[in-house]
Amino acid sequence: MTTQSSIARPIEVAPRPSGVFAARFLAMGCPCEVLVAGADEALAARHARPAAEEAWRIEAKFSRYREDSVVAAINAGAGMAVAIDGETARLIEYAAQCFDLSGGLFDITSGVLRRAWKFDGSDRVPTPAQIEPLLAHIGFPRLVRSADAIAVPEGMQVDLGGLAKEYAVDRALAILDEARPDLPVLVNFGGDLRANRPPAHAPWQVGVEDARSLPEPWMVVELTKGALATSGDAHRFLLKDGVRYGHVLDPRTGWPVAGAPRSVTVAASTCIEAGTLSTIALLRGAGAEEFLAGFSARSWCLR
Amino acid sequence: MQLIETGRQRQLSLAVLGLLGAAGAPVRAADDPLPTQFDSGLLYYQEGDSRVKDLEAVINVRQPLAADRAWSGRILLDSVCGGSPNGAIPSHNQQTFATPSSTSLTPTTAVVQTTTSASGGGGGGGSISLCNNPVVGGVYTVAPGQLPIDQSFHDQRIAVSGGYETALASDTKLGLGAAYSHEFDFASTSLNASIAQDFDAHNTTLSLGVNVEGDDVHAVGGTPVPWSQYNLFEKGGSQRKRVHDLLLGLTQVMNRRWLAQWNVSLERASGYLNDPYKIVTEVDAQGNDAAGAYVYENRPGTRNRTVFYWDNKVDLDYAVAQLSWRHQTDSWHIRSDTLDLHLRVPLGEAGYIEPHWRGYRQSAADFFHFFLFQGSPASGFASADPRLAAFTGRTVGLKYGLPMGKSGEFSVRVERYVQHGSSPANVPVGLQGLDLLPDLRASIVQAGLRFEF
Repeated sequence: MTTQSSIARPIEVAPRPSGVFAARFLAMGCPCEVLVAGADEALAARHARPAAEEAWRIEAKFSRYREDSVVAAINAGAGMAVAIDGETARLIEYAAQCFDLSGGLFDITSGVLRRAWKFDGSDRVPTPAQIEPLLAHIGFPRLVRSADAIAVPEGMQVDLGGLAKEYAVDRALAILDEARPDLPVLVNFGGDLRANRPPAHAPWQVGVEDARSLPEPWMVVELTKGALATSGDAHRFLLKDGVRYGHVLDPRTGWPVAGAPRSVTVAASTCIEAGTLSTIALLRGAGAEEFLAGFSARSWCLR
Repeated sequence: MQLIETGRQRQLSLAVLGLLGAAGAPVRAADDPLPTQFDSGLLYYQEGDSRVKDLEAVINVRQPLAADRAWSGRILLDSVCGGSPNGAIPSHNQQTFATPSSTSLTPTTAVVQTTTSASGGGGGGGSISLCNNPVVGGVYTVAPGQLPIDQSFHDQRIAVSGGYETALASDTKLGLGAAYSHEFDFASTSLNASIAQDFDAHNTTLSLGVNVEGDDVHAVGGTPVPWSQYNLFEKGGSQRKRVHDLLLGLTQVMNRRWLAQWNVSLERASGYLNDPYKIVTEVDAQGNDAAGAYVYENRPGTRNRTVFYWDNKVDLDYAVAQLSWRHQTDSWHIRSDTLDLHLRVPLGEAGYIEPHWRGYRQSAADFFHFFLFQGSPASGFASADPRLAAFTGRTVGLKYGLPMGKSGEFSVRVERYVQHGSSPANVPVGLQGLDLLPDLRASIVQAGLRFEF
């Protein structure tokens, strides 16, 4: 079911403060790195590799951009049931829980809105006439699911991109921690990250960036173990008649959520949990803080 | 309200458990053996004007024994031929020289060893050789205006070394090593030890290293007596040389993108420091050389050298830059500076390219003389070895690395080296029109393969 690139992909190792080495690579369309403490450069590179391979595996399996991915096969079903493996079924079941938790805001079928919304910084805001027909193709409950198959109605699309990255972080960390529980590592895939344990001398120092005022972080979080995920709309928006349309779209209306924070950072024990909470909080717009207050995770909203 | 919220947290926790808990990490052996790393390379070096050709093969092996212990080994095989300048300057006349193994300038003399060539020739039977040895009868001639080079030179070198490194504490590392190198006319044995201590949460590393080396020089045809006339063949037995090194290093993480390193090393070499094959031309007051008027060089018996080295690695996101400066002074009054810049640019799945530029300059040793005047007292020190002259060098190169398999890499490096020296400003009439220190051009091609299993 999975496909693996036959060409070995590069991993670059760069030194970081406090005797840490960062193994860097590209996966899922973003820069990824695995920080390894208490190891020399060669050991860091070797230790980090299974994490990169896991990221590439998940990318190949769940990318909607790849014709040979599981997601592409599901979306090509055109209403027919497509058999899925256990891992895919678990991710979709998790998406169902997210849909439920968010009151329909977190919806893996909302990707079709991209046909109307192109967040390129221009003023091309779509008209209601462009958006209205798309809403007929959105709605997680319209997916027909069983334990080992899924049918996506014609015209609808499933996109697991919003979950795959955080899921990959948790998977990669589990693999590294099982191989060498004694080696402190921090897995960071495109800003969503998780650490197994702190380096010998001090906690991990994680800068939370405010994309509008690069390059200095607006906050530094000390992380001993656990996950941090950040969601935001800083980069992607449309601007028309002085109104800013952020890229956080409400799948129920097809229009951007009002009052969304610039970014939401959540600390939780797993990356998928942190990522889910930060994404839903962003979708809650003005109600982000109120939503987060209902969970035990620590969070920071930047407005 | 609170009940509902608690319910949400529980729902999320259960969902996470369903996703991650069921999909535990794949089964792996608890004690995956640490892979052995191999790093091999093949280097070909060729100087212009068919001077030196050098083919070198090297294999490095590193075997971790545990996370904090490893041993390493290295074997190097080297085949050189073509020879370097023998120290004599070009002449307006044809010059005739004997290879070091000869005992006379006259090929018809009974004792000429006709089949043995230069240093190392005796060891070469049946082995791989690049050399198309043009020297017959132990004598070679050099055309007018040409820099005298002993084309018969050819040698094979084998060098082996081993090391062991271990952590004494979480912040302290100890390294021990030994090396042996053998050529036909030269053998070298060395022992080294180093200790590195981390401070400030591994942001700072102080290191101290010592190296002791003992060399035996068995010059082909015997070790010439310094200052002796070239055609008298006054030669003695083997000679010895000792080298002691002390190295003090500081490595500092400057910020998350910049790693800096400073080293100071003090080296003391003593014993036989001459090159047994190097001679100095003697000319008369008008600069005319007489056939066979050469003396063997004589260098001081000690050389104290101080080297300062500053290396920077900077992560530029699109590339990693490495910029270093090396400054050396020694008791022979040679001062040299090297600036070296590497820029490694990743090309995604296609690997990386690494442009390289190096600039080098040195001043001459205080006893360096292109030539000597006849009748000047044969005392003090003198050498005409071009390596002790003042010159500048430029290297420009490009390396391409292609990832192979999980952690392997294949790389190709091509470099061009140009060395430029200057002839003395004022020379006697008889030497005018001669290029006493011709430019040197060399090409280097290297292929490397790194893998582990």
